[in-house]
Amino acid sequence: MDEEPGADVQGPHSRLRDPAWQVCPRARWLWAIQGGLWAAVLVAGQVGWWFLDRRGPRDPHLVVALISGVLIVAYLVVMPRWRFRVHRWEVSATAVYTQSGWLSRERRIAPISRIQTVDLTRGPAAQALRLATVRVTTASAAGPLVIEGLDQHDAVALVESLTAVAAAERGDAT
Amino acid sequence: MTAGLPPEEDPGPPPGNPAGPPPGDRLPGVIGHDAQWRRLDPKMLLVHPVQEAVRFLPAIAAVFVTGRTSERSPLWDLAILGLVVAFGMSRWFTTRYRIWGGQIELRKGLFNRSLLTTPADRIRTVDVTAPLWHRAVGLARVEIGTAGGGMLADRIILDALAAPVAQRLRSELLHRSTAGRVEPVDPLGSVGPVDPADSADSADSADSVDSVEPAGASSPAGRAATSSTAEPELLLAQLDRAWIRYAPLTSSGLVSAAAIWGFSAQFAGDLTSTINDAFGRVAALGAGLAVLVGLIAAAGAVSLLAVTAYVLSFWDYRLTRHPGGTLHVRRGLLTVRATSLDEARVRGVEVGEPLGLRLAGASRLTAMTTGLGRGAADQGSAWLTPPAPRAVVLATALAVVGDRPALTGALHPHGPAARRRRFVRAIVPAVVTAGGVLWADRLVDLPTGLLVAGCLPLLAAPWLAADRYAALGHLLTPAHVVARGGSLGRRRDVLAREGVIGVVVRESFFQRCAGLATLTVTTAAGRQGYRIVDVPCPRAEDLAGLLLPAEVTAAFRA
Repeated sequence: MDEEPGADVQGPHSRLRDPAWQVCPRARWLWAIQGGLWAAVLVAGQVGWWFLDRRGPRDPHLVVALISGVLIVAYLVVMPRWRFRVHRWEVSATAVYTQSGWLSRERRIAPISRIQTVDLTRGPAAQALRLATVRVTTASAAGPLVIEGLDQHDAVALVESLTAVAAAERGDAT
Repeated sequence: MTAGLPPEEDPGPPPGNPAGPPPGDRLPGVIGHDAQWRRLDPKMLLVHPVQEAVRFLPAIAAVFVTGRTSERSPLWDLAILGLVVAFGMSRWFTTRYRIWGGQIELRKGLFNRSLLTTPADRIRTVDVTAPLWHRAVGLARVEIGTAGGGMLADRIILDALAAPVAQRLRSELLHRSTAGRVEPVDPLGSVGPVDPADSADSADSADSVDSVEPAGASSPAGRAATSSTAEPELLLAQLDRAWIRYAPLTSSGLVSAAAIWGFSAQFAGDLTSTINDAFGRVAALGAGLAVLVGLIAAAGAVSLLAVTAYVLSFWDYRLTRHPGGTLHVRRGLLTVRATSLDEARVRGVEVGEPLGLRLAGASRLTAMTTGLGRGAADQGSAWLTPPAPRAVVLATALAVVGDRPALTGALHPHGPAARRRRFVRAIVPAVVTAGGVLWADRLVDLPTGLLVAGCLPLLAAPWLAADRYAALGHLLTPAHVVARGGSLGRRRDVLAREGVIGVVVRESFFQRCAGLATLTVTTAAGRQGYRIVDVPCPRAEDLAGLLLPAEVTAAFRA
């Protein structure tokens, strides 16, 4: 580690590599379902517009429906695959490292010695797909590390190992 | 999978407990000796349906009303009521907890199942509360908070246990987590020796005791405290009355003016005629002069309010350092605030230089401290100095963090891409606003004043962008990480590197196009996260590696 003030910029650039492990492939279905719910809201709005606007010409309805239909299909096809390529995670002996997002990308690293709580949650869709989400919180309220779409057995094993390691650390991790 | 969460229900009665005595009647054993999952107190089956029914009262009322008017059978209403009650009762069947192997585990949820775990060492607070319904049947609600604090999702809530079980759980958990703890500092000397459970229960306030008391009552207590601690305290800063001139340059006057305006607007019905008279007389002077008079009057009123606020909150301000390792702030005119910050919990300082203060050569100082919670900075508990001359603030900051390069050293600029981004982000909204106003003017005739107001941002934007870029910078010193940014609310954050908990490298879509990233350094102190905005991406990754221990990031290097 370069300790000289001002000189730290000249240090050899060491890029971060991507985290090693991908999430469960079924997570693509989870994201597709979540995206589908948004699409359903959009479609419901247009159906409402169709029935409320009885007098007007039908052309604007059809144009809007066509455009939103194409966008929705593109979104539902592209977003889950893209996310699946981006969402990755890794737990080393000393740290948890996650990467998430699709258009924007976020990478988080937290040392295991700083872990406060490890939570596992499974929503209705995740339960149907046998998936689970693991949230790792630290003493900072700036946001937890979230690993979405893990196979539920992997998730349980991950929670167990992380809590075991975190419990072994001393101090209050602030 | 002996200790885990069997993914599908239902584990049945725990082994060794086949008869299933009422869980609430058995006290949780000493931590680490009991691997059984426990349920909440069954008396909760009485409380929760009532609570759910109260919560769903509007919906239930609606159901009954519509049920009466339509031809539906009353069975329908009963079914819905039954569902609500069943939902309340389902919590008892789906919630289990255990305290085992040094951690607390809580499983809950019917549709949204979750497993919360936290090591017992990390527990900061255990709150036992008994609302009315609970008290009626002898129950209590236990809420377990960790240092992450604040967020509801992070809290483990046992709702509810029998009151004695709750009390015993609390003392066991706190006894364990306070075993290796230093007694909290008691700066006012007003409270006697505290028992460990109580002190940890109020751990947040003990880390930085913040007492508010009326002026008269406080002085004897304060004097007693200072005289009882025979060791000398070191005066770091003290109010100079000349500093009051900085008050109108902060936004505090505007804020109070807006608050008073909003408040009085509701009662000023009879005042409007007087005000209208005044407006009429001023308007007779001609438009230009009227605007001038109005602006001067408004500025005068706002300044007066700001000065009043400054005097009320900073009168008699003194910052002292006590030999025991605490910083002690005393300030206030009518209400005296005495705040003690344990220096072991201070992770750095924020030097605030909002535009007005900066132009007058002034700034203000806030401490980053753990245990105060996120809102504390806004409530002023962490203020170290009022708006004061820059030299005074820097000297105080130096006394607190002791790292001159971090406070005054030149920062690394973020480069041409960050500069372009500042200009794009300032100019594009201004162009859109001006364009919108001009386009609207073609449709309907807008008043000239609105046209000018719509185009003003366009003139200010380039200056704002240049000023924002000039502020942008970061620095790594051996002990601190420094980030600066902003124009109207410029801030230099100096955070101790040992207080860094983790890093977040975030690239938005547009940032990725420009090869930039925002590095957020997370910490348990102050704002919880400090951002180094729009730094070139390789540099952000470099910094992420330098800020965390080498053995942590070595594995993730490309």
